[in-house]
Parts: sequence; structure tokens; C-alpha cells
Amino acid sequence: MKRRVFLSGLAGVAGCGGSRTLRLNVCNWSDYVAEETIPNFEKEFGVEVRYGTFESSAELFAKVMSGNSGWDVVFPPAEDLQGLRALNLLAPVRHELLRNLDRLEPGFRRPPWDPELRWGIPYMHGSTGIAFQKHLAIRRWADLWRDPLQGRITLLDDPVEVLGACLKKLGFSINSADPVELRAAQAEALELKKRIRAFLNAEVRDQLVAGDVQAAQAWAITAQQAIAETDRVAFAHPEEGFPLFCDNAVILRESRRQALAHRFIDYLLRPDVAAAIVVATGTATANGAARGLLPAEVRDNPVLYPPEEIRRKGEWFEPQPPASRKLRDRLWTEIKAA
Amino acid sequence: MKRLRSLFLAPAWLVIALGFWIPMGIVAAYSVLTRGMYGGVELPITAESLARFADPLYLGILAKSFVLAGIATVLCAVLGFPLALFVARASSRKNLWLSLVILPFWTSFLIRTYAWVFLLRDTGLFNTMLIATGAISEPMPLLYNDGAVITGLVYGYLPFFVLPVYATLERQDPLLRDAAADLGASPWATLLRVTLPLAAPGIRAGALLVFVPSLGAYITSDLLGGSKTVLIGNLVQNQFTAGRDWPFGAAAGMVLMSVVAVLLVLLLRRDPESLL
Repeated sequence: MKRRVFLSGLAGVAGCGGSRTLRLNVCNWSDYVAEETIPNFEKEFGVEVRYGTFESSAELFAKVMSGNSGWDVVFPPAEDLQGLRALNLLAPVRHELLRNLDRLEPGFRRPPWDPELRWGIPYMHGSTGIAFQKHLAIRRWADLWRDPLQGRITLLDDPVEVLGACLKKLGFSINSADPVELRAAQAEALELKKRIRAFLNAEVRDQLVAGDVQAAQAWAITAQQAIAETDRVAFAHPEEGFPLFCDNAVILRESRRQALAHRFIDYLLRPDVAAAIVVATGTATANGAARGLLPAEVRDNPVLYPPEEIRRKGEWFEPQPPASRKLRDRLWTEIKAA
Repeated sequence: MKRLRSLFLAPAWLVIALGFWIPMGIVAAYSVLTRGMYGGVELPITAESLARFADPLYLGILAKSFVLAGIATVLCAVLGFPLALFVARASSRKNLWLSLVILPFWTSFLIRTYAWVFLLRDTGLFNTMLIATGAISEPMPLLYNDGAVITGLVYGYLPFFVLPVYATLERQDPLLRDAAADLGASPWATLLRVTLPLAAPGIRAGALLVFVPSLGAYITSDLLGGSKTVLIGNLVQNQFTAGRDWPFGAAAGMVLMSVVAVLLVLLLRRDPESLL
């Protein structure tokens, strides 16, 4: 991964030396394409791609906010689309340039955050739940507050996730902006903090596999990676409900290579390309046709693609109004400082 | 002559202006602006962010950062002084010992800190060894607490203490020690009443070089503290990312910087050569 970024960086430097090849600038989450995805695109279209990565949506937001970030295609989560649009940073997606648009899974053709897919094309999706050592038989968020887990559980290091889980435990929406509900959720989080070992994101995977951690609030993708390594780990989509997220390919308004950017997104929508990415990264694609190409155990993997009756309990993250953002940040700092 | 002097100084001034004064000016400006809805800053000018720091929540975070950085500095001194003394007095292989002190800098701080996760965790080296030898039956909670954070800080910044102390010890005239011995001082008394006071400038410089970065550290508390404690560095980082409150992040940075600046001024006033 890093090596390829480095090499493509070199290609970029070489590109300054008078070569007139078109260069597309793509910034994506790390581990979100296959090894050959970018080189194949470069070969087929005779262009260069500068491929960068980011580690959090906040980092991406900060990067593109200036409006002259130098990136053409980036992959923000659905709940950030509204803010990016409000800052006038996005170029509308021209559907006539995307021949493979109908490859999207029906559920992602009219998503709630962008019903006409005007601003972004769903790329990968996932959910948050609990990864745990199988013998524990965890089914609900509330199980994390159970005694035997004392000191052997972890939470995600992310305010929307931790408050989201606590809100769900109490029967509220993960997107609640109600101060009373948020305070109640914070009380739950403070109680839970006394029992946790640490706040860990993807790095919890190794400790789940090694057995250090008994139960972890985790992204389905992380859990699936742990499950692939050991059959002692399982994953639950909590019964109270759980968060769903979707990362989208968007074209920045600043891009002067709109046509090439569309071609790149169309390339990613090709079933064979999308399927190769899924096989290489173990993520969940929004591309229905690509799913059809996958081996049955990947295609119907219940962790990455929960069946409809479970999926229905999921809730999409939504953008927070500024007042609620401020309150949530304060509550989060209090939780962390406690 | 004077023109030549300023000509030669110009590049350094340029670097300091571009790399230090201007960014610091931006931080100062941000700290008195209003937060943008999606991050960034907007007008009007307000002291709200700076005033917010008077809140016990944030003062508590600042105090905790001071305590951890202070403990790390004291431990660095306790561990670093004998080490510096050993290197300075080594009759042979002095350069080897010195390069061993500097060697960790060849690897990124992040990776070195992360390596401690593998040493300290339940199935890590220390716990595995202790269990294998029968010293304990259940793994000890070595990782994800303040102790682990302090360990990481001491490990990461120890060379910053050793090097300046080594430099002062190296310059000490051995005849002074001989004179002390001739006048009847025991080796212990010589150490405490001759060597140590003479090394004071190096110790002060080393302590400062450890204390200041420890105060702003955030990777260590994230990785080894399991993000369970917020230090001032974590607070700043969070305001610029998830919190999307750049003015408050900048204000927190300014508060931290002012505190450090005051410390420096106090130190310099006491001993203008202490940083040489």
C-alpha cells in the first residue's frame, strides 16, 4: 500500500518533467482499492494517477475545504456530503458519463442522503456492531455493560460511534440532537468507560485475534478481518439497532479533469474491477453486479452483508447541526477526561 | 561588515519567519475568530475560545498534561543522568555508547511508540515471559493506563535529556574531581557536590527538552494510553478533526505555547546560559 503510494508519487514527480500525460488525483481511504486497480486504469486510459490516502473523514474534510486541494476524486462518507455541498465543493455527477451506474445495488440507487445520486456514487458501505469471543454470545449493546467483561472490552475512538451506541442502548436515534437524550447517553458512556480497556479503532483486530480483548465495538470490516484469521471471533449487529455508513466517490468542483474523473468512477463501477477490490480488501461493495461475481461465502457473508431483517435495524449517520456538534464535542471531552 | 552579517543571517531569518512566526501568527489569529459551521474559521473576532479555557474541564486537562510531563521529566533525569555520566566517563568506545543513545532516532517516533504496544499487551513480551516463569498467573494490565503513557514518554524523550547532560559532563575538568578527592571528599560527595552542580545547566536544558514535547505529546497517550486520557495535545488535535472547532483548537494551542514561553523566560532570567 505505502510502497505503491510512494511509487505513484515518484510517477507524479516524473510527470512534472515535461511529460504531457493527463494526471488524475485521487484521495481515498487506505486499503480501499486492490493492488492492480490503479495501474490497470492508468494503462487502459493512458493517464497517470496520483493516489493519496486519508485516515478519517475529518482529515479529508480539512484537506478539501480550501477549494484548491489539488484532488479530483475523493471518497467522503454520506453524512459529509451535505456539508461539502454547502461549501460548494462538489461538482454534480453527470449520469450520462457513467455507463455502469446501473451496476449499483438497488438499495444504493436512491439512498436517503442523495436520492438522485447527484453528488456522489456509493462505493463501499458497512456497519458498526460488536466483535467478540464466540463463547460470550453477545447480541445487544447492553451486553457490553455486563460484569464479566470488566476491563476486557474496547470502544471505538470516535464520538459519533460511542454516543451512537449509547443512544441506541437507550432506544434513541444515533443522530439525536436532543440535549436530554445526549446527556443520558453520556451517562451510559461514562459508566462504560470504567469497564473498558481502551478506545481502539481498526487496531483492535490483532488483540481480538490474540484473545486480549473479549468484546469490541468494531466496524464490520475490522471484525470480518479478525474472523478471517480465527474462528473464535464472531460479530453481532446489535438488536437495539446500529449505525450504517456509506463512503461515496465524489468529484470536486475544483477539478479541471471532470471527464477523466467520471471515467475513473465509471471504471470503479465495472463489476470485475469492483469485485477484485472487494476480494483484495474484504470490504462491502455497493455494487450489486460485482457482488454477483464473488464466491458465495463472500457474497452472502452475514457480517459484511447482513440479511434484510437485520439490516432494517440499521440507521444511517446524518450530519449534525452546529449546536449539537458543539454539545457532543463537549460531552466527548468530558467522557475522555473522566 | 554589518551588511555582510545581515546577508548571511537572511536565510535563517527567512526560514524562521516562514516556518515559525507566520504559522504562529495564523494560529493566534484563528484563536480569536469564530468557528465555521464545517470547520475553518469565520468573522467576527471574539475572545470566546480563549475564555472557554477557564472551564475546569479544560484546566483539568492542562493540569493532567503537566503532571504526566513532570513525572516523565523526573524519570528521564533519574535514568538519564547516570547514563550520561557513564558515557562521559567511558574510557573506550565512547562513540559507540553515544551512537546507541541516538540510534532510536533512526526509526520514526510513531513506530517506536507502537512497538511498546507489542511489549506491554496481555499477550505481549513482558506478560508472556512473566507467565512462563510462573511469576504471575494472569496477565498484568501494563498497557492502556497512565503508567504506559509515562513509559512511552520516558522512552521517547530520554535521549533529549542524555545528550545535553553528556555535553556538560564531557567538558568538566577531571582535575576538579581529583582536587575534591585530595581535599577528602568521598566519591559520593564529589558526585553530589562537584559533578552534579557543575552539570546543572545541562540538566536544566535536558529537562526542558523532555518536558516541553511531553507536554504537547498526543500520539503516546493515544497509542499507549488507549485514548482513555485526554492530554492537551489530544484536545488540540480533536478540535481540528472530529470537533471541527478550529478557533478552540488554536486557542488551546496558544494557551499551551504561552505556558511554555513563560517557563522559558523564567529559566532564561535565572540563568541566561542554561540553554547553551
